[in-house]
Amino acid sequence: MPIEQDHDDVIARYLASELSSVNAQLPKRRKTLSLLLHEEHPRISCLDGSEHFFRIDELRYLASILSDYEREELLLPMIIEVRSGRSDMLVRSLRGDGKETVEAKVFAKVLGMPASMEKTGVRIYRSQLGAMRRALKTTTQYVFTL
Amino acid sequence: MAARIRVARPTKIELARLKQRLRLAMRIQKIIKDRLSILVMEFLQTVRESAEAKERLQKVYHDAYKALSLSVGYHGYAEVEQTLMIAEMPFSLHAAPRNVAGVRLPTFQMEENPEASRTVFPAEDSSLLEYTSDMARKCLSVTVELAELQSALELLGDEINKVKRINNALEYVVIPGLDITIKYLSMKFEERDREEVARLKYVKLLIEKREAYAY
Repeated sequence: MPIEQDHDDVIARYLASELSSVNAQLPKRRKTLSLLLHEEHPRISCLDGSEHFFRIDELRYLASILSDYEREELLLPMIIEVRSGRSDMLVRSLRGDGKETVEAKVFAKVLGMPASMEKTGVRIYRSQLGAMRRALKTTTQYVFTL
Repeated sequence: MAARIRVARPTKIELARLKQRLRLAMRIQKIIKDRLSILVMEFLQTVRESAEAKERLQKVYHDAYKALSLSVGYHGYAEVEQTLMIAEMPFSLHAAPRNVAGVRLPTFQMEENPEASRTVFPAEDSSLLEYTSDMARKCLSVTVELAELQSALELLGDEINKVKRINNALEYVVIPGLDITIKYLSMKFEERDREEVARLKYVKLLIEKREAYAY
């Protein structure tokens, strides 16, 4: 069996950078829907320095299904938490009291069925993800967690 | 591929470090697998949308050519050409990036120019020409949509290949390599412990013998 006596720090560094880069596309700060509707080119800055643009059609669609108060409450992009080894995903909401949130209302409208609530947000399943991403391409983003 | 034992120093600190690295590699592999499944899902979704857009494109172009040939037949080629030459572009195209699981994809958005939203036909207010113009605008809109989807497909495909390679490297090289090195070091330390016990027993025997001769 060959034995190498060299350092494999390169691999360690590579592994560490892989873990930090996987969620680098997350926004620095989210904006409310009402704020984005007033921008000419609605966009946010990401942690890696890049920019993420929103489709105006999507924002208008969201605005059409929400009231004025809810537009102030909805933070975009909505973050879909992909949890390792689980078939369901979580969309965290500001209000963590288990009551119906703005996000739940949006998903219920998009999916055409009531969204299942968790204490910290809205739970969605992989089978529902396609339909949701199709309708909300730029207003949702993924985050990978363990 | 045979996993290689990579060890800088055969010490217990090194063993602890390798175990930590193995745990990290396994965590990263889990996340990478999740990312891969999401990217594949996005890719398949884009393929479906692209197929739909292609069908729409064919239909719209068919209708547009039909309308154009009718216009040319009714008004004559020279008049249609003249009208098209003076027609204003009633929209602009805005290109911007969007992020999908770490991949930057382009987004093209057609923005209507309200001041020039209608093409003006000074020669004759023809419904045929207007219809042709509308169809041409639809053609452009679907073409832009298809261009966005096609470029997204290419970028997602490239990223899937990249992530697959990383996953394979972790699964077949890094993790087995760390695993076998940890096993090698553990066995080496166990062997050292056994040798130490045997040595101590031998020393004890020697001391006992020496004490027996002393009496």
